[in-house]
Amino acid sequence: MTNKSLCDEIYFNEFYSTHIQSASNFAYYKSGDKNTSLDLAQEAFIKIWENCTKIDFSKAKSYLFTVINNLFLNKIKHQKVVFEYAKSSPYLDVDNQSPEYLLEEEEFKVKLKNAIADLTEGEREVFLMNRIDGKKYREIAEMLELSQKAVEKRMSSALKKLRSKINGI
Amino acid sequence: MEDKNNILKWLNRETSDEELARLQESKDFKTLEKIAHYASQIETPKVNVDKSLEDFKLRTQKTAKKGRVIPFNFKQLYKYAAAIIVLFTTSYFLFFNNETSFKTKFAQTKTFQLPDNSEVVLNANSEITFDKKEWESNRHLTLNGEAFFKVQKGKKFTVLTDIGEVTVLGTKFNVKERVNYFEVKTYEGLVSVAYKDTLVKLSKGTIFKVVNGTIDTVNTFNIKENSWLQKESNFKSIALRFVLKEIENQFGYTIETKDIDLDILYSGGFTHADVNIALQSVTIPLQLSYKIEGEKIIIFNYDN
Repeated sequence: MTNKSLCDEIYFNEFYSTHIQSASNFAYYKSGDKNTSLDLAQEAFIKIWENCTKIDFSKAKSYLFTVINNLFLNKIKHQKVVFEYAKSSPYLDVDNQSPEYLLEEEEFKVKLKNAIADLTEGEREVFLMNRIDGKKYREIAEMLELSQKAVEKRMSSALKKLRSKINGI
Repeated sequence: MEDKNNILKWLNRETSDEELARLQESKDFKTLEKIAHYASQIETPKVNVDKSLEDFKLRTQKTAKKGRVIPFNFKQLYKYAAAIIVLFTTSYFLFFNNETSFKTKFAQTKTFQLPDNSEVVLNANSEITFDKKEWESNRHLTLNGEAFFKVQKGKKFTVLTDIGEVTVLGTKFNVKERVNYFEVKTYEGLVSVAYKDTLVKLSKGTIFKVVNGTIDTVNTFNIKENSWLQKESNFKSIALRFVLKEIENQFGYTIETKDIDLDILYSGGFTHADVNIALQSVTIPLQLSYKIEGEKIIIFNYDN
């Protein structure tokens, strides 16, 4: 009987600590709202804690993301999402300090930010989980209970939209 | 299209250097690189894990007042239940099982006493089981094969076989149960035999015989010749197949026959001391021949 139980506080804390950041991120990709994302993640963890007996430890991760998704659908009004870049983020070409280049890059960043905000929720969460959390498609598929093919599909349609928006077509 | 797959692979950090080089040649790659680069710089609200966990505990404590239901862990229970069952069954077999059994192999006889000093002589390839503890109140045993009984006077004494049931009070008698063959001989006293629906009382010197399900009417025998106890087997108008079976039991050979009428009747006997003499005393009167090959005896017609 080596099965870890989520009702065991040690395992739960370990589970919590491992996933709270990506859970909060996930909520953020969906809502684009800094103030509610952590709350949403917390609430999802509370649901898991309350139902710890019914949830298999191995399934808990995908359950977590499902719960966040459901909470989001129930609670958050769809609104225009707003993203910000981290301050002091490096440019792609760190050696190029010419004012024209910097200006060009800043313009690009604004376009990209807006284009990402315009993606569908599904495309955005997959794209950002890959880009920001550095998750592989297979992991994302597992978390969202999708097939890897579906994740790849969302990813490539996201890319297509981003490229066409940025190129101004 | 190939491009699209390569781009996906690249974003998944699965591209080889060669593929990357090819990808970098495509005209649109600059934009892609920028998208990939700057998208990853979008800031997500950093979670302070310790602080939020603390906050989480606080929130759950409030709800915990409702009382969290801790389910009864059945799996755990099964574990203990299994252990207890194993304990009980082993101790049962160790301490309460008084089944005693005696068994003989081919070419072996065994003499022993039952708890009430009744004597049993077990013929070759036979088995007797009985309950030691219940013996005083209930004298019954199960027989598989052939045995001679010398029963002390007392309560009802019962021999159970697959074919029939023999009940006595105190006598000497012989029970023989082989495949399709059932025989009871009474040497002393009165023996009652239950076979299917018939109940037969056998007085001294009578024999009850069931061959292939039919009751044989030859019903006397010579009390002096309780043959197998004197290391020989005697038969009176018995089908050859049962005689051969008995040879197998006594000597531990397997017997094969060629073109022989196994229902031919045989009267006579064979010794348990020597297989050759035994075979001769069975085959010669019936004008048969035999051959011993290892553990096998082959019996065939003399003329061939």
